[in-house]
Amino acid sequence: MSHARLELESIQSMLYAGHRSVHLDRHSLLLMGGIGGLLAGFTECVVNAQRFPNVTQHAVALLVWLSVWLGGMCVADHWLTRRARANRDETLPFAQGQITRAWWMLLAMGTLGSFAMFFYGGGAMIYALWIVLLGLGIYLFGLFSRSLIEWIGVATILLGVTGLAAGLGYDALHWLAASCFAIGMPLAGWLDARCINAPWPRRALALVTWIALVAGLPLGLARQFLVVPPTAAPTLLANADMAARGERVVRLAAGTPVAFRLDLDGPVLQLLPNNGLTMSLSEPIDIVLRDGAPDGRYRAGDGEWHSIRDGSMDLRIDRLQARIEQGEPIVRAHAVLGKQPPTGAAR
Amino acid sequence: MKSALPQLDPLLHQPVRTRIVAFLSGRGEATFNELKRALSITDGNLGAHLGKLVEAELVASHEDAANARPQTVFALTRRGRGALATYVAQLSSLVQLSAEVPATSLRAPRKRALR
Repeated sequence: MSHARLELESIQSMLYAGHRSVHLDRHSLLLMGGIGGLLAGFTECVVNAQRFPNVTQHAVALLVWLSVWLGGMCVADHWLTRRARANRDETLPFAQGQITRAWWMLLAMGTLGSFAMFFYGGGAMIYALWIVLLGLGIYLFGLFSRSLIEWIGVATILLGVTGLAAGLGYDALHWLAASCFAIGMPLAGWLDARCINAPWPRRALALVTWIALVAGLPLGLARQFLVVPPTAAPTLLANADMAARGERVVRLAAGTPVAFRLDLDGPVLQLLPNNGLTMSLSEPIDIVLRDGAPDGRYRAGDGEWHSIRDGSMDLRIDRLQARIEQGEPIVRAHAVLGKQPPTGAAR
Repeated sequence: MKSALPQLDPLLHQPVRTRIVAFLSGRGEATFNELKRALSITDGNLGAHLGKLVEAELVASHEDAANARPQTVFALTRRGRGALATYVAQLSSLVQLSAEVPATSLRAPRKRALR
């Protein structure tokens, strides 16, 4: 009777092997990782607001840029995979064909999301979105492949979500996305090949190694090189020599008025000349000038130095209302600049 | 308790052939080389068992000429899927039967015989 049980277990094991027959070839990992990393890392050097000052042109240029690279990558990968499988006298499993289509859909969603952010906002989280989409793609492959790939997919999704929730800066998320593609995908293939039939502690160790290398490197670099504290001592704005070349630190005392100029565009409203808000600093701020112009580094009081792109400074509009008050039309907006919690719930 | 023991399919009640059919059921289709790698058996052994399964029309083969190198691809037939399902059901009923027979009832006659 125990023979029947053994026979059933053998059938179960072969069914499992048949279902988990999806395998990402080395060329796929290098191609997707390389091109994805290149696009995540350097797209903004090629398609930027300096080259395309018009928002629509910028959006279309990005759409074309991403479509050409990612579309070309998908076609090349499909062709290379079929050739490699035929050379090894293997068939392409049905599941792999379906998952490859789902992978293309995820890439198309990322491309359309990047395009749509120009019109609907959300640009601050675009790299986190790409990381999550990549994670979903890897997870889907992992479901029909080996379990380490599945775990890496989940880890990638969590990296994107946690990075965004933890308030990682735009630059940090940018390099994290590049690392997930360029380092993460080839590394996943390399580790997976060394963990075939390995017990779970070894697979868990491989996962920890993957996370440490993929997340540690870009986050370490972002922390080390993006916000270098200046060496110069701060001088008050009134005493600063604005024409001086090199690095200077200027202190803006508490109470200093700061003009907040709004550059709003819209089909039904236009700005009158001399518009803007006058605000004042609630605490002193040091800013770094390079050749007389702010270079993006600042600190409040004697706190830590930040970069304007590290995620510590953002503008969030959480309430916008149009009303008639005392016979006059008025648009009231509530926005938060920086990381303060909103003072009231959005209505 | 009266339970008739199921008659197992003699063609499938052979370890290599069972594994071939189970693997094809999970994967859909596979080439000779893929089957050889999955089962870790020799060409001759696999060829002989595949031949029997093809002859009984549980497995069908076809030439895939989509690539420069045509491949022979094996897949389960509808009859093969049915045979595997029946075989698994028969094995499951055997396992259930073994669970229903209490261990003490097997020992009891021996004790009586000793008296």
